[in-house]
Amino acid sequence: MWDNRCKIAVSGVGYSKVSRTADRPLAAHALDAVRDAVADSGLRMQDIDGLATYPELPATGHAEVDGISIVSVNCMMAMLKLPALTWHIQVGTTNIGGAVQQATNALLAGVCTYAVVWRAMHNPAGTYQNLPGAYAQGAAQFTGPYGFGGPGQGMAVAYTRWLETNNQSRDKMATLAVTQRKHTQHNPHAYFHGTELTREDYFASRMVAYPFCLFDCDIPVQGAVAVVLTTADRARDLKPKPAYIAGYGQRLHFETAGRIGSLSSYMEGGSSSAKLTWERSGFTPKDVDVAQIYDGFSASVIYGLESYGFCKEGEALDFIQDGRIELDGDLPLNTFGGSLGTGRIHGLWHIIEGALQASGRAGSRQVKDANVSFVGASAPIVTGTTFIFVGDPY
Amino acid sequence: MSDWSKVTRPIPVPNEWTKPFWDAAKQGVLALQRCRSCGHVQHPPYATCTQCIGVDLTFEPVRGAGTIYAYTIMYHTGDKRFASAVPYASIVVELDDAPGALLAANLLDADYTEAKVGRRVEVMFEQLNDDITLPQFRLAAG
Ligand SMILES: [Zn+2]
Repeated sequence: MWDNRCKIAVSGVGYSKVSRTADRPLAAHALDAVRDAVADSGLRMQDIDGLATYPELPATGHAEVDGISIVSVNCMMAMLKLPALTWHIQVGTTNIGGAVQQATNALLAGVCTYAVVWRAMHNPAGTYQNLPGAYAQGAAQFTGPYGFGGPGQGMAVAYTRWLETNNQSRDKMATLAVTQRKHTQHNPHAYFHGTELTREDYFASRMVAYPFCLFDCDIPVQGAVAVVLTTADRARDLKPKPAYIAGYGQRLHFETAGRIGSLSSYMEGGSSSAKLTWERSGFTPKDVDVAQIYDGFSASVIYGLESYGFCKEGEALDFIQDGRIELDGDLPLNTFGGSLGTGRIHGLWHIIEGALQASGRAGSRQVKDANVSFVGASAPIVTGTTFIFVGDPY
Repeated sequence: MSDWSKVTRPIPVPNEWTKPFWDAAKQGVLALQRCRSCGHVQHPPYATCTQCIGVDLTFEPVRGAGTIYAYTIMYHTGDKRFASAVPYASIVVELDDAPGALLAANLLDADYTEAKVGRRVEVMFEQLNDDITLPQFRLAAG
């Protein structure tokens, strides 16, 4: 087990308003989320001495303008002018889960005491994946000429591989979309709060990139979320009940740029990351009371459930049936609605929900007696970061 | 069948690693990167052998017979260059001669509904301009 098991905790969490269009600069959303998280902890802004984010804009063909389409660490520093700031970083390869892990490491090293991590996501005007080029450069020279544009198609090919080698039906995915939308109705911050989704809606929806229909894809939004992390002893003195980090893992599965569609890469990335989280935390999948698994595209949940060890390969779409992922099921899943419910904010919201469920702060969507709370914070192939939070360490 | 006639495919820009692939394709030959140390065949081309980290890499012709490893049918028209062809099949092919090396392509000369994992395909070539010819795939004869 990890020497640093449960020595760092998530304290406060915060949200901006999530909107469909960029009606104000992204920096304003990020600021709202950070202020909300700091207030939730009962801290003052000047107490914050660590900052971390992953600022990438996943939309292609749009300008990266700091404060407008991304919110870098520099941007946040300039806005907050923190008097006590001692540590800051923005990560490049491990997505937002990596930023949370870096903050954990910085707190363990004692180079800061209260770190804030935020994720701000922009929804550019026009086509999200804007691909007007006459040429395909770099890695895209082997994929672009064939109409492989956005990340959706890359995920979709692995999904057909999974469906057809396992003789499975995409119809079963309706259960995930509908159940998560049901969970969304308990999350007032989510974009789809107040909008129901039925199985009929799922089956009637337009195809985007087969096997993905519209409701297999998270909707691009503008918004931000944030968390405060601190050491366990400090967290206990703050307002919210802490969610202790029992363990974490990361693995960027090796892929040469431009390689496409390899299902085994998702599986290897996910299992490598989760193995570290299980070993460090001392828990196994059987110990988990509630799970959040990144769902920017629905099929990520399949790769997550299987590679993290919650079910066998080829069985994830059967595993999620019969109420198992409902709030009162055996493994309540994406209880905040997931990205499919909140809109595209990436994995920090999964981390937030994992922490809230562990500390019993999830309100009307709280899973009864939840303590061991698992998070897979990004698609395993991209940057599989995984976490276990516990409310009452044992 | 998908109508490719109005599609404007982005033209591949070869670089120092990939030029032999495109030079061969222009001659109607599929050539992949092979490691002289361990014999591993890989695609896309990379600086080192992804199996043994060898740097002595060469390009050698491979047979164009393989199977559809995976595919997607594109319906979304966000990419205007390809909008006139939807729905169309973008496929990933695993060649008999290069297990694990995955080539992107379109399934040509067949309805997009013919794309299925495991189906046999064979290479064909689509000339884009004087410099670039694109390897593509169709269902294998018989
Ligand atoms: Zn080699």
